[in-house]
Amino acid sequence: MNPITESSAESPTEFEEQLLRLLGRCAAADSSALQRLYELVSPILFASLTRILRRRALAEEALQDVFVSIWQRAGQFSATRGRPMAWMMSIARYRAIDLLRHERHVPALIPDLPERLAAQPETESEERSPAWLPPSGLLEHCLGLLTERQKHCLELAFVGGNSHEDISRLTGSPLGTVKSWIRRGLQSLRQCLEA
Amino acid sequence: MKPDNPELVDRLAAEYVLGTLRGPARRRFERWRTNTPHVDQRCRYWEEHLMHVAKGLNPVQPPAHVWPAIRKRLNLTADRSPRRWARSWALAASLVLVAGLAGLLYWRSLPSVRPTATSTIAAKSGGEIWQVEVFGTTNRLVVHAAKLPAHPAGRDYELWALPKNGNPVSLGVLPTEGTSTRALTAIQKAALASSSQVAVSIEPPGGSPTGQPTGDIVFVAPLRASG
Repeated sequence: MNPITESSAESPTEFEEQLLRLLGRCAAADSSALQRLYELVSPILFASLTRILRRRALAEEALQDVFVSIWQRAGQFSATRGRPMAWMMSIARYRAIDLLRHERHVPALIPDLPERLAAQPETESEERSPAWLPPSGLLEHCLGLLTERQKHCLELAFVGGNSHEDISRLTGSPLGTVKSWIRRGLQSLRQCLEA
Repeated sequence: MKPDNPELVDRLAAEYVLGTLRGPARRRFERWRTNTPHVDQRCRYWEEHLMHVAKGLNPVQPPAHVWPAIRKRLNLTADRSPRRWARSWALAASLVLVAGLAGLLYWRSLPSVRPTATSTIAAKSGGEIWQVEVFGTTNRLVVHAAKLPAHPAGRDYELWALPKNGNPVSLGVLPTEGTSTRALTAIQKAALASSSQVAVSIEPPGGSPTGQPTGDIVFVAPLRASG
């Protein structure tokens, strides 16, 4: 189990090349590059932050933190460190999850099921990759092999920033069951990717 | 945790990236990732792949006031109109004058105490963030905070000596404003004596729990002997 180079082996898309150039200029303290980067990726990062944090003001603050981090860490990032969108999306998601620790332990903010279910089906219906996401046929194929429940749990966690407990409440399934859906989902994903 | 068990590393990395690894376990894992290349590699693997789970996410335009706020936090000057420049120059000139006078008074009042080494920690844009002064003769470390960049809420900046042979040695949490003075221990003094650089990392409140940097190293600056 060590084919870690699988995804990095795919050559960067034109959009990724552009992001890499901009990050290189950020590392050289060119603030116009950060502004351009902001124009390109802030809408998708903000979407991710608002989904997880569910409070706009908090998401706006988090977006600031994310771009401060991107600016400060651009030097550490290089093409070999991975794909730029994955890097920036991770900075955003981890920041949001960090903030949840302090902010979302309020019963009133337990995610509401109908809204989430209504928000999810778009993932199945959308055929083509959006501009920010590097296309990956293999990934699509492997995600397609998961059971609906596994996939739904992964989405609730990754996109919605929900914990095991949140997902258990949302789906009305026991905590242990949710944990095992997720574990098995991740396992099958890896097996498929590395087959 | 057993760093050598690849199955466990992979499972934790996947749940970390997914976001279901929470609480103290998440923070422990973050530290582990920072210090362990193969753990970091598995995280990147999952970051690149799981990103596709968010394929259906529809972009949302952030409000217009966010970008100026970021620019302000990073001290980026985007508006380069002549008047603004003139104003900044005038401000800079008066600051230099004030600093010069203050410096003069300072040295006059303390003729025999001078730093034995100094370091200026500056932002990439050139703005000074901290001025570090080591007073070897009196075993004191003085840090002046200037213009701090924003840092993750609830975290502290920690200063490290980087001795030529050996691990970084903590010089304590950095002040966010004003000036802090503290006594140097024998270990810190020895580490500083063989360091030509200092570093700043982002740490949990109160500083690194392990005695070694656990968060990102955000600044490295030369330490220069003086006097």
